Amino acid sequence: MWQFRIISWLILDLLALLIQTALLPQIFPVGYVPDLILPLTVIIALYETPRRGLLAGLVGGLMQDVWAGRLWGLNAVTYALLGYAVAHLESKIVRDNVFVPGLVAGLAQLLVTPFQWVILRIFGFPFSWSSFVAPLPVWLLFSMLVTPAIGGLLRFKPRHEVENPYGRTRMTTWR
Amino acid sequence: MGGFLYRWRRPIIVVLVVMVVSLSLSVTARVRGKAVALSNVLTTVVSPASSTLQYLGQKVGAGVATVGQLFSLEQQNRELKQQLLLYNSMKLELTELIQENSQLRGLLALKEDAKPWKLVAASVISRNPDSWFQTVVINRGSSSGIKPGMAVIVPQGVVGRVIATTPISATVMLILDPSSGVGAEDVRSQSAGIVMGTNPISDQLTFQLFSHHPNVLPGDAVVTSSYSEYYPAGLLIGQVTRVTRTGYGLTETATVTPSVNFNQLETVMVVLSHPSGTSIPPIYGGGAH
Repeated sequence: MWQFRIISWLILDLLALLIQTALLPQIFPVGYVPDLILPLTVIIALYETPRRGLLAGLVGGLMQDVWAGRLWGLNAVTYALLGYAVAHLESKIVRDNVFVPGLVAGLAQLLVTPFQWVILRIFGFPFSWSSFVAPLPVWLLFSMLVTPAIGGLLRFKPRHEVENPYGRTRMTTWR
Repeated sequence: MGGFLYRWRRPIIVVLVVMVVSLSLSVTARVRGKAVALSNVLTTVVSPASSTLQYLGQKVGAGVATVGQLFSLEQQNRELKQQLLLYNSMKLELTELIQENSQLRGLLALKEDAKPWKLVAASVISRNPDSWFQTVVINRGSSSGIKPGMAVIVPQGVVGRVIATTPISATVMLILDPSSGVGAEDVRSQSAGIVMGTNPISDQLTFQLFSHHPNVLPGDAVVTSSYSEYYPAGLLIGQVTRVTRTGYGLTETATVTPSVNFNQLETVMVVLSHPSGTSIPPIYGGGAH
């Protein structure tokens, strides 16, 4: 299934970055443009193992870092950790297609922003905390709405459903 | 030995990853030019797609805006009238400033200012994917004569400077970026300093003044100074909105509102060359020198 292939992630990340750099700045003011790699990492990681979730985040984050051309590693580390954490969390919770992706993306956004603020401060970009979190409500709402939408649009499914589509039916019959 | 490595493989991998990431972050934090160059190659490859998306976005945005305007036309009309009054008063103030300036500098200097500048118009096709850094990509590059270090302007004032180029595109660092430092001066008091971006989301600039008692006041116009490395002197940067004392009252910092609306940046002009020692024509916010 295409959703589990790295090349698919690369194409999705490329599309997300194109929209993020060319389309979203026309809707959101400077500094408030939301991140599309975050919802994408969350939705991919929700259907993956922690190790592959980490890989998905690393791929998306690294692409964003190279595209931005400033601090290589900032997004790669952030999203790799996020991918790992989301995939790890996924094995412990009941997953649905709307509320869980939305809530997990919101939580992820709440954690990613201070994490990046700390990294930026360490590497010589001392932004003030108050102005740094000003766009957070916009990003929070955006990621909470967009993540389930991306999941629905791409029709992501759990691996066991893809690999054994009749598994549940057979089980019911057997019972 | 092999058993030790296998047993401790996970902590070793984690330590190695942390080391590589720290090295990458610290190297790219220092060597910015090379990272930007690679980023620029990437943006060049995708620039046709960026241009198309940007064009589509503009068209869709314009359509949606037209429908939206029907509902808020009356309110907008009221606001526009108020803005018109404000702009008229600002225009009067600016006319007075220009007249005062021209009296001080002389008609001859103004004639010098009006000499033709070599400019290239370019469209903004994409922005930086990171909200923390303020750079844009334009659809003209080295094949149009654009080189790193060239100033980028719009009729309202300074936009930024070119930091990397490819044959068909160039990356421009906006003056809002925290790494951009522009040599500037207050037109009224002639106090010099450096203007830089304040915060990633703020459209305000910080004017760090060199002098202990610079005599800068709210409302003063700030322009690029002749000490600026990249920018021609006399380009309008913005207007002082607040003056604060920092560092135990030893230094003064002014907050400057840029004259350029960076949210509506579509077409910009790159200054390819300008007659040395002269300012830009007044229509581009110049005329201070």
